[in-house]
Amino acid sequence: MIRLAFIQFMRAGRYAGAGTRIGLIFLLTVGIISLFVGKQFSQRQQQAVADVIEFQQTDFPRQAAIHRDDMGLLLYYLKFSVVNQTRPLTALAIGQRDVNPSVQSVTIRALEGQQYDADLTNPANLLLGNVDFSFVLVYLFPLLIVAFTYSIISEEKENGTWSIVAVQSRNLLGFVGQLFLIRLAVLLAVLLVIIGLAVPTLGTPLDGSLGLFLATSVGYVLFWFSVCFWVASLQRRSSTNAILLLGIWLGLLIVLPAGVNNYITARYPVPEAQATTQAQRKGVHEKWDTDKTATIKKFYAHYPQFRQVPVVAMPFDWRWYYAMQQLGDDESAEQAHELKQKLQQRETASRSIAQFIPTLHTQLQLGELARSGLGNQLRFMDYTGRFHEKMRLYFYPRIFTNAPVSAEPWTNFKVDTFADTAPSSPVAVLGPLLLFIALFTGLGWNRFRRTIYHL
Amino acid sequence: MLLRTQRLIARQVWTTAFKNRAVFGLLIGIGLLLTYAAATGWVNVRQQNEIGRIYQQQARQDWLGNPDKHPHRMAHYGHFAFRPKAPLSVFDFGMESFLGNTIFLEAHKQNSVNFSEAGFSTGLLRFGEISMAMVLQLLLPLLLFFLGFGTVATDRETGTLKLILSQGVDWGQLLVGKSLGLMAVMLTLYGPVMVVTGLLWFGLQEGTVSADQRMRLGLLMGAYFLYLSFFCVIAVLVSARSKTAKTALVSLIGLWLMLTLVLPRTSQALGSYLYPAPSKAKFLADIQADVLKEGDSHNPNDPHYKRLKDSLLTAYGVDSVQKLPVNYSGLVMAEGEKISAQLYNVHFGRLLAIYDQQNRFSKAMAFMNPYLAIRNLSMALSGTDFAGYVDFQQQAERYRYEMAQKMNDLQIHFISNKKPGAAEKPHQIDKKHWEEVPDFSYQSPGIGRVFAHETISLLAFAFWMGLLGMVGWRLTKTLTAI
Repeated sequence: MIRLAFIQFMRAGRYAGAGTRIGLIFLLTVGIISLFVGKQFSQRQQQAVADVIEFQQTDFPRQAAIHRDDMGLLLYYLKFSVVNQTRPLTALAIGQRDVNPSVQSVTIRALEGQQYDADLTNPANLLLGNVDFSFVLVYLFPLLIVAFTYSIISEEKENGTWSIVAVQSRNLLGFVGQLFLIRLAVLLAVLLVIIGLAVPTLGTPLDGSLGLFLATSVGYVLFWFSVCFWVASLQRRSSTNAILLLGIWLGLLIVLPAGVNNYITARYPVPEAQATTQAQRKGVHEKWDTDKTATIKKFYAHYPQFRQVPVVAMPFDWRWYYAMQQLGDDESAEQAHELKQKLQQRETASRSIAQFIPTLHTQLQLGELARSGLGNQLRFMDYTGRFHEKMRLYFYPRIFTNAPVSAEPWTNFKVDTFADTAPSSPVAVLGPLLLFIALFTGLGWNRFRRTIYHL
Repeated sequence: MLLRTQRLIARQVWTTAFKNRAVFGLLIGIGLLLTYAAATGWVNVRQQNEIGRIYQQQARQDWLGNPDKHPHRMAHYGHFAFRPKAPLSVFDFGMESFLGNTIFLEAHKQNSVNFSEAGFSTGLLRFGEISMAMVLQLLLPLLLFFLGFGTVATDRETGTLKLILSQGVDWGQLLVGKSLGLMAVMLTLYGPVMVVTGLLWFGLQEGTVSADQRMRLGLLMGAYFLYLSFFCVIAVLVSARSKTAKTALVSLIGLWLMLTLVLPRTSQALGSYLYPAPSKAKFLADIQADVLKEGDSHNPNDPHYKRLKDSLLTAYGVDSVQKLPVNYSGLVMAEGEKISAQLYNVHFGRLLAIYDQQNRFSKAMAFMNPYLAIRNLSMALSGTDFAGYVDFQQQAERYRYEMAQKMNDLQIHFISNKKPGAAEKPHQIDKKHWEEVPDFSYQSPGIGRVFAHETISLLAFAFWMGLLGMVGWRLTKTLTAI
């Protein structure tokens, strides 16, 4: 029986007059294309990292040769780079990684004037979005699920064959369940093939992250099957089912997410961004015109350890200069903190709302697992801040004593890498999906029990 | 009476549509969505422009508030440029959210335009935004497909079609009538949206409406009317070709998904796959390498600047830079700024050319996909497209260059070549000079630019009119009643 139902499913012409097989081949093809897109994305990231390493390797010795007598001036120019590590999994859910720079290059001057520097991007690419695996999963899988299931019972009714099936089957509800399970198995097989291919092509390690990523994907597919099951249980006509399911797809993938986005943008505007840069600029540059000793005093208040460093003769009073830079950061710290808080609020708000919208939830969680969401970006910025501080503390004593430039091993300063290790809890990731699956399957089951024999 | 039969058929489409209670629900739903879009668009544009205006003024006051100082300090003090939103961005957000809006302008350095909404987004933005344009471009066509899938196919299924045709109505009258009826339903949403857009657009300009803006709004209205009419006609034609209403519905849904979801993304992905753009590190390193080839103004032994020095000494007939009547390091910086700005512009031009190549596919796709045609045209008319953004970047860069060179000029003429001693006052000039640099004010480009950039989209509109007309005409010859 199952075998026959399977053959019938694979042979039937359903979607836009084309067969099931065309739908499956389409999905598989786009899925494989998405792996190439991901592959190219990671190659470009690797290239960007290679570029910055090469630049640092050639630029440091060159600058050190030019400014060999002036440590302070040299450090004015040197840019130290940090890379936000791209994992193989990132290629499956590119998320915000194409918007936010994965490489931050900072001098030891005021950080607030540097860390928001935008990447070079073509906004048309950003606007239309990536064809990455998460797109295939989140947008296209549901469409195929809908196309394969919207007429499971209704078509039989419209063709007049349902009464025959009903009479001949001993367990009609079980039979309906089987029809759904066949389609579920086929689509899960496609999903597994795509992710399976990702392992060799992208070099994804078989670890817990991949496991959770896969579980989320399966959960998402199950969620859509449960929705279709529920709609089938309403026992409407095929075209009504199609409109209803497309309406749900539209609501969950276009209207609601976009509406939530509008809400969050309007609810949490970020004028703090502009405030931070302006405060930073004023904080630095107005020190040229204010009392020098007051500036140095404030600097010592922040870093008492440098009070002891004796003042030596140098081409320019770099202690004063870097004190000015430091005060640029100190005096914009409040605005910068507010900005971070605002972004954190945005992140928290969208996460809590997403719990009630499985499509949003899935997209955000895949991004989180792939380290391509706002959370990762904020952690990367924090790390850049710590890295910047580390470089400052390393070089301040050398600048203040005008240590010989040649004594420093300039080629040993490597590009630093940030590996995001923030943990993710399987319950928080899968919980909301499971609840929705249970809800719709339950509703569908309940309704079917009452209406299954309505011919 | 003109087109009597067609009007009769159109009226029938209209009444059938409104007989369905679900249609009322859908219309109300879309109406609410449009209200939400209008409200958030209005709040957002006002908010952003207000933030920009306040900080632009603040930056200007900060600039003017500087005391007497060395002009080069001022060149580093710099200025900010904030990108204002165009009045029609209330209707179509376009790329706005992916474009930065704040740029710090200082000597020696072309900074990035920062703080795009996308950079602050949790990733939700990638699902899209609800703007009035989005509703008209994306959702209204689907609604029209829902309303139109049965226009002919249902008549065929029920056998009414045979009756109509046997009563002397020809296929041409039928298709035109059905399309007109659908267009009448379309106008019930299109009309109010355009009225609201007009009001918000007027409100955002605070009384002074330029002819340029009026042209933009007019063209926008025309383009959307055509775009939505295309979908009315497509719905009727597909319905006329389909044996059953269900086939028509499924075909139209499939078509809609192709046009709005699959084709736009894949064509853009193809473009960026084939034409990779350089990383930022590479872009900047290449510029630096080119600048160093010309000469390093920070290197006292650089040959290019050595030649400059020698020629100056000869011209003024002196034997050391200290004796020059003009400030030597000011001249060096002016030369350095000129070289680096020129090279930056060359590289930036190349980068833009790569982006253009990347976008070429999705632009050309307008001939296969009216959604892309309206999308590009609408963004351009609303001033929310990439071309408008590049224009802002270029104006900001020109301003930056002129500000830096003005400061160099002041240094050349008013600053002595002798270094002040430890006990002496540092070199500085009077603060009255700061006013000589005008404030940055962005001049939005005229509509002529839109025609230049969006020729393809405009041609695509003409193409689609011709195509649909032709297909319709062909069908009148081949369609059958059963």
